[in-house]
Amino acid sequence: MSSVISIRNLTKTYQMGDIAVHALRSVSLEIAEGEFLSVIGPSGSGKSTLMHILGCLDQPTSGQYFLNGRDVSHLSDDEISRVRNQQIGFVFQGFNLLTRTSALENVELPLLYDTSSDIPASERKARAMAALESVGLKGREHHHPNQLSGGQQQRVAIARALLNNPTLLLADEPTGNLDSRTSVEVMNIFQKLKDERGITIVLITHEHDVAAYGSRIVHVKDGQILSDEPNESRRMAHGELAQMAPAGRTA
Amino acid sequence: MKLKNSWTLAIKALKKNKLQTALTMTGMTIGVATVLTMIALGSGAQTAIQDQVRSAGMNLILVTAGNYQMKQDKPADEGIEPAAYLRQPHKATLQTATYNPHQKARFVLAFHPEDDPMAIHDHPTSRQRLGDSEAGLGAAATLTIGDANEIRKIKGVQYVSEGIHENAHVTFGDTRWFTRMHGDDVSQPLIRRAWTFPHGRYFNKGEEKRAESVVVLGQIVSEKLFGTNNPVGKTVSIWKQPFKVVGVIGSGSWMLQPAPGDDQFDAIYMPVTTVQKLLNLSKLNDITITTESTGDVTRVSKEITELVRKRHNIGATMADDFTVTSQARKALQGGGMRPDVSAAVTGNVSGLEKITLSQLGKTLDRASETMTALLTSIAAVSLLVGGIGIMNIMLLSVSQRTREIGIRRAIGARSKDVLTQFLFEAATLSVIGGMLGIAIGCFASGFISKLVQWSTNISLPAILISFTISAAIGIFFGYYPARQASQVLPIESLKHE
Repeated sequence: MSSVISIRNLTKTYQMGDIAVHALRSVSLEIAEGEFLSVIGPSGSGKSTLMHILGCLDQPTSGQYFLNGRDVSHLSDDEISRVRNQQIGFVFQGFNLLTRTSALENVELPLLYDTSSDIPASERKARAMAALESVGLKGREHHHPNQLSGGQQQRVAIARALLNNPTLLLADEPTGNLDSRTSVEVMNIFQKLKDERGITIVLITHEHDVAAYGSRIVHVKDGQILSDEPNESRRMAHGELAQMAPAGRTA
Repeated sequence: MKLKNSWTLAIKALKKNKLQTALTMTGMTIGVATVLTMIALGSGAQTAIQDQVRSAGMNLILVTAGNYQMKQDKPADEGIEPAAYLRQPHKATLQTATYNPHQKARFVLAFHPEDDPMAIHDHPTSRQRLGDSEAGLGAAATLTIGDANEIRKIKGVQYVSEGIHENAHVTFGDTRWFTRMHGDDVSQPLIRRAWTFPHGRYFNKGEEKRAESVVVLGQIVSEKLFGTNNPVGKTVSIWKQPFKVVGVIGSGSWMLQPAPGDDQFDAIYMPVTTVQKLLNLSKLNDITITTESTGDVTRVSKEITELVRKRHNIGATMADDFTVTSQARKALQGGGMRPDVSAAVTGNVSGLEKITLSQLGKTLDRASETMTALLTSIAAVSLLVGGIGIMNIMLLSVSQRTREIGIRRAIGARSKDVLTQFLFEAATLSVIGGMLGIAIGCFASGFISKLVQWSTNISLPAILISFTISAAIGIFFGYYPARQASQVLPIESLKHE
């Protein structure tokens, strides 16, 4: 299988006044297409920095980062924005939806920033509707984020992340603000995306039981990779959901 | 990203923060409304001053055919005195010159028999042939419509009206009235200013061009022929020709009351082309000119003299075959002074117009310019305040919306997309605010002119300038905040709560 992500000797150093903080110390990692990689580590371990660099939100101090075979570690703002728009989808702990903006408008946002093609408004709407439907939010497209539950907001964020058919989905503590049942629902969506659409997923978390949904687990501590091994005892969200007592739609 | 998309995003963002949008816009609205009102008041005052000067006829120049001129003792400077071209070594007190291209010699006559107003002649006198405008031996009808058209091209000239003046009998049914007949240009009402039209209108360009048989009656003529009835649409007969009445001229000023024999309201007006066709004439009696600025009268008079001399092929040593008079000179001549005294004054004070007109006109122009400048600078300050208001709100908005910017950046917005969006927001605020301001400014200046009787003047350029300034301010003061927004790092803004 070809590598979606290939990072070599990646370091990131923050200058805090006189003190240099080494968030990442020579990290190398290969992630193959269709993998569901869980990055686990305590806070301050550098996992968030790793995610920011993987998501092209930040640039490494040194080292190389190949995304789909292209070195993206030192691109111009226009190019890197295009990479984020076309190849990466983000799901955050705090959902990061635009407030006072309907679910539909939030979801169609990536298409508005698509520089490669001019998509008419009707098509934007249709694609956003389809994405919302696929995460089970049909009929709620005109709700604003504050009218939606945490789980629903996260699903809107997932729909938005998937709209441009990215190769990589980056999830930063996606269940951090959710209760256990909706957490499992979100994980179920992720596992389905991996199995059915072959999307590469990188999940950042500090909880072992959340990391356990991944097919491979990477432990990070003090800016270095401690361990990197396939997950033998993978949790399956679909089965867990079936066993759970049916709960109300709103979590 | 297409600009259309930036626009969509900007509008959505503005709709999200309605109160903020409304408040910012209000600042801009007040700024533009103030500018427009100030410009309206300033240029209104300017127009009012100029109107007063002009209604006194200060900007009027009259070119009459023929040259019947007091000889001046002192040579006129700068050539505005028509007699300046005619330098005689000997001192004749009264002099008449004729123009004849085939004959180089000049007649110098002390008196012409036709000049005696009491004399009875058995032949049609020049006074009868051409009306009484400067009739005399020198009153050759030498001016043409072509001359008038060339004068129209001189810089600073406002209106030009050709004139042929005759006496005529106007007949309607059994009623007959003997009055003055003027063949004029359509701009005559604009030159006269104090005219109103109780019925109908003045003849128009088309009618003048086609030399149609239309006539405008002075109020006295209308009363004599039709009493209190509306004559518009009726047909009167002049020289046994039918003429359609299109309007009646009345006085718009209490200072100017129509009276029989006043040559203005006891008169009829028709297109100069019609008169020429009817009487088989190709020449004019006179050309009336107004200048845009009172201070320009001297210069324009001089240019007219040069132009007409050139057109009439008058050599440097030959006399003018026309006379250029400005209103000041005329006023002096007709101002209750004995003709010989006024003749002596106008003949001997060289550059008289220059002193009175140039200085008075320029002083007034300068005073009103100063006033406009003062008002405009006050207005500019209020616009500046409006602009800073926009900048302030946009800067606040950038720090408030750091997280939103971060989300947009994570989704794939380039920094230039963020820049465009914020610039569009600022421009939209200022342009919509500006348009509201224009509406309010128009309303306010109308209100002021009603309330305190100040004249205001809202011109299209003033509106366009206000609009352009408001858009420019939006972009200028919106640029810095927009730049700030575009430079927010995506990762920093996502951490921002």
